[in-house]
Amino acid sequence: MMEDEKHLSKGKRYRNKDITVYWKPSACVHASYCYRELIEVFDPSRRPWVDMEGSTTDRIIEVVNLCPTDALSWKWNDEEKNNDVRADQYNHVKFRRPELLQSNGEASDKVPVSVKIMIDGPVVLKGDIELNYGTTRKEINDGMISICRCGLSDHQPFCDGRHRKIGFKG
Amino acid sequence: MEENKKSKTQAVVEVIEYGPLKISGNFIVKDLKRNKEESPGEIWLCRCGKSNDKPYCDGSHKK
Repeated sequence: MMEDEKHLSKGKRYRNKDITVYWKPSACVHASYCYRELIEVFDPSRRPWVDMEGSTTDRIIEVVNLCPTDALSWKWNDEEKNNDVRADQYNHVKFRRPELLQSNGEASDKVPVSVKIMIDGPVVLKGDIELNYGTTRKEINDGMISICRCGLSDHQPFCDGRHRKIGFKG
Repeated sequence: MEENKKSKTQAVVEVIEYGPLKISGNFIVKDLKRNKEESPGEIWLCRCGKSNDKPYCDGSHKK
């Protein structure tokens, strides 16, 4: 069977009659949009954690498209249909901010960094960031980081999803 | 202010050891739980989970 590398090298797939959802755990920053929006399908406490029968195809696509990284992506099972999907509907491009794509420098240099305090979760930062921790100084261009707010991540200062297990509120 | 052509950095994020997360520069902070959005220029966010003024640091980590 031919493997679509763009979607999956290491990871899992879940399908219903219309689409296949791809899950790449290493890309997840625990922004938690998926289970906040659609726990019927994306339930981290269940195994397997994705239940493709939990909602409609349209709703699943909508929520997968909310994933800010390429941890979750999807494809039509009917290859023909994938040809009709506009490039901007594929979520491997969704993280490129439109304001950066349409200009060639100038204005785009000043896009404010987005800092999102997730409900009962981490703080997710997107944009052009200088990150300092310990003796490390890192320049991140048009990137994304997720910082622990519950204090218990094993991967400090980054979020590792622990807040959910301990029932962090804040 | 003079433009730094080399660095595109808009905001500086500092993880203070055993302390909060300091963010300064050009950024917009959106608090999804409290439904607030602002661009304060500088903030200190709680990283220990104990602050009574979340998402901000209130010094509780020292206790």
